Amino acid sequence: MQSKRLGWILLAPTLVILFFFGVLPFIYVVYVSFHSWNPFAVNPEMVFNGADNFRKIVFDSAFLNSVGVTVMFVFFAVLSELIIGYFLAQAFMRDFPGKAIFRTIHTLPLIMAPIIVGSVWKLMTTPSIGIIPHYLDEWFGISMNIGTSAPAAFATIVIMDIWHWTPLVTLTLIAALVSLPQDPFEQAQIDGAGKRQIFWHITLPMIAPAVVATVFIRLMDALRTVDEVWMLTGGGPGSATRFVGVHIFKEVFPKTNYGYGSTISVIVLYLTIVSCWLLYVTMLAPRSKKD
Amino acid sequence: MSDHPEEPLISALLEEEDAQKNTVKPTGFLPIETNWFDRLFISVVIWIALCLFWFRFIEPLGLSIWIANASAAALAFIIIKKG
Repeated sequence: MQSKRLGWILLAPTLVILFFFGVLPFIYVVYVSFHSWNPFAVNPEMVFNGADNFRKIVFDSAFLNSVGVTVMFVFFAVLSELIIGYFLAQAFMRDFPGKAIFRTIHTLPLIMAPIIVGSVWKLMTTPSIGIIPHYLDEWFGISMNIGTSAPAAFATIVIMDIWHWTPLVTLTLIAALVSLPQDPFEQAQIDGAGKRQIFWHITLPMIAPAVVATVFIRLMDALRTVDEVWMLTGGGPGSATRFVGVHIFKEVFPKTNYGYGSTISVIVLYLTIVSCWLLYVTMLAPRSKKD
Repeated sequence: MSDHPEEPLISALLEEEDAQKNTVKPTGFLPIETNWFDRLFISVVIWIALCLFWFRFIEPLGLSIWIANASAAALAFIIIKKG
């Protein structure tokens, strides 16, 4: 009884902070999503409009397009980060000259603020002054302009995200790989299992919880990407890189449409939770065939 | 040596019985193991998805959203009770 009370006392500060900075704003956003509210308009009052915002959102082609672009971005970025991160983690498990320096340099992008990353990549990809278009043109004869080419803009953002966040995946997977017991690997080698078999049947199942946790973190992060994209392309050209985060930003700040912006936020939150839950259920949750 | 040769057998049987008691779980129609909060969560997810689907495809045909809400509520009740 005593330890239970002590547990609640120790948890209390976290719960209070979570309530005021997590639960309360969430409830407020849900509340606003059922209203029409433009605080800078002639009539700045919040007007309850039932589910009209939700009725509108399912026909909003700009929003649906932004969801599609975001899903594509998340798929390419997170999958690439996972694959590259795994290979880097495996590389860091071995000894090679300059490993410590390389590991430090490799982790540097993680400590950069996304807005800085966006600015740096903006400088590197601006056609007249950027290093990337310059060398692409000089070495391969490819002219790259992310201001006019939608595929180039999208690919640049995916590459930028991979560059920025792969170190996180690498660090998590290194931690998972280091903690693996050696016995199953030795036994598998004695039994004559190949590298591929060891990976699919031993390594992957054993690091699956870490992989899923990493995917969770990256998925949630990638779904709300705004600042890097805003800095690099501003959502353009056209709507090629108008991710949902950028769409919400444009809806809320330039248009000051707070009600509808909140509705989009709620739907994005819903999509994020459902994707994470589906991932959890398919990969980790204990299954039992019930008769 | 034990004075009661049957004792190990009895304790083994009891352990087996306990193990069976522990492994017997309530059965439901959902393909995963769930507690009541999981089932509530699944119900809310389905409720929202159904309402959005209704807004997009069914309501333009003239059917009220309250039908979707009633169906979702009934489905939620079934999932929470029997999922």
